[in-house]
Amino acid sequence: MSRVALERSTHGLILGLVGLLVVLAFISLMVGPAGLSPLAALTGLVDGDGAAGLIVRSIRLPRTLLALLIGATLGLAGAALQGLLRNPLAEPALFGAPQAASAGAAFVIAFGYAGATSFAVPVAGILGALVSIGGLVMIAGRRASLTVTLLAGLALASFAGAATALILNLAPSPYAALEIAFWLLGSLEDRSNDHVLMALPFFVASWLLLGINVPAFRALTLGEDAAASLGVDIDRTRLMVVVGVALGVGAAVAVAGSIGFIGLMAPHLVRRRVGSDPARVCLPASLLGAVLLIAADIGVRLIPSNPNATAIELKIGVVTALIGVPFFLVMIFAERRALEGASS
Amino acid sequence: MTASGDLACLKTANLSVRLGRALVVDGVTLELRAGELTALIGPNGAGKTTLVRALAGLLRSTGQILLAGKAIGELSARERARQLAYLPQGHVFHWPMSVAAVVALGRHPHADAFSPLTEADRAAVERALAATATDKFADRAVTELSGGERARVALARALAGEAPILLADEPTASLDPRHQLVVMGLLAEAAHRGGTVLAIVHDLTLAARFAGRIIVMERGRVVADGAPRDVLTIKLIAQVFGVEASISDSDVGAIPILRRPL
Repeated sequence: MSRVALERSTHGLILGLVGLLVVLAFISLMVGPAGLSPLAALTGLVDGDGAAGLIVRSIRLPRTLLALLIGATLGLAGAALQGLLRNPLAEPALFGAPQAASAGAAFVIAFGYAGATSFAVPVAGILGALVSIGGLVMIAGRRASLTVTLLAGLALASFAGAATALILNLAPSPYAALEIAFWLLGSLEDRSNDHVLMALPFFVASWLLLGINVPAFRALTLGEDAAASLGVDIDRTRLMVVVGVALGVGAAVAVAGSIGFIGLMAPHLVRRRVGSDPARVCLPASLLGAVLLIAADIGVRLIPSNPNATAIELKIGVVTALIGVPFFLVMIFAERRALEGASS
Repeated sequence: MTASGDLACLKTANLSVRLGRALVVDGVTLELRAGELTALIGPNGAGKTTLVRALAGLLRSTGQILLAGKAIGELSARERARQLAYLPQGHVFHWPMSVAAVVALGRHPHADAFSPLTEADRAAVERALAATATDKFADRAVTELSGGERARVALARALAGEAPILLADEPTASLDPRHQLVVMGLLAEAAHRGGTVLAIVHDLTLAARFAGRIIVMERGRVVADGAPRDVLTIKLIAQVFGVEASISDSDVGAIPILRRPL
């Protein structure tokens, strides 16, 4: 495709995704145990009066906003990490941030410092992500190769997984263990506007840190030495991307539990339309991440799960993993030749 | 020396580089001048790549590197990138971007990274595409090209910044004979236009044919530096490369013919 055609195609995709996002966000306000008509949802959102107002403004609006913010953050985090690592299979989980965030939050829930909806959970999750990233930077050092960084991330992820298992193991009551187990599955159910406000600053910081490095991702297609010779500060880029991903993923895990594979699927699907230029992928990947997560969250509310317990819906993290893992395997299958051939 | 000649000048004094505990570059003093294609030769492990990476500002070194009269450490990465282009080994492209987009990356040190390319940027990209005859496939994905085409695209990227100094690390490695000549010809052309060009070359014939000057490295030190005819002697080739050679005078210069390993 020529440059002009590619640019037109990118703009078209961005507009299309924004339109889809608006439609899905509105549907998300209508769907739930108490279905609302479009008019009722709209008046509820605008006026905030009555039962419809309460449902829309304090239950479904935060849920929709969180799906949008988390989806966008995970989509951008995936695209950024793939840009940094020059590898379409990179996932934020490679840096151990979601695992560490889960461990931090699980610790707070298990030992009864807070209920699953209290502020202490997000705070602990974000701290967990920051500790893991701090550890990563300390172990790997500022000048470490990506291999060392990834190995350190893998070790930290395994350690965080073991810590979570230990917490479940030592949980003082079976209720606490059950609560953690459910929370780890990932869900946007019963989140409040406080959750949105709590996570928002971290999401914004994440977007800024990742966004200013977008031109560096493009230069990195030539490899680190050539990018450095073009004036890109590789160490700074690496540090900012690692911290940006940690903030975004840590805050996302903290408010919604573990939701995976958005960061893998969104950039990959976008590439088919806008090409592989890593700078061109970031914005549409973040929009598509939001679209995917809102769609999945509408899905879990519509799919009947357990007819005997109407209050329980499918966990969104389960749904994204069930779709995402086969997707990941197909990608590995398609990329295996390139992966085997890759020396760096 | 003219102002532009000064701008294209790269000098080192007693330059040393340690990688871990090994002293890989050991007290190199040299001066590269405008309008000259210099070939850097030497056996594997002599420190050629390390020297070039240090000259490009990518490695910590001791001693002095002066770029257009200024210590390289005093320049910002962007200022340095405008002065000096570096073409690493292997012609790596990680993403299947179009040739035009890859070559446009050469403008990174000049353009505001968040704005579209200016007219001047576009013109420089066009010139680089035309000079390397890569304009014919400018819209194709760079990962679909043959090795020779990729080498030309990589060179076009390095030329697009129009930096006065170009450092190329084995630009002819793994190319067919025709593309070896094409790439060396392009480097010589860049030098004739007033650029300062340093290329690591393993093929002594190519070095003798195209370079105006040859620098020989062995164990981190410069052991010979001068015109090909003076440097590529039977004695030096035996000592540095461990190869018995003869020299054949031809219309393209004094060409070493390698006989057998000593």
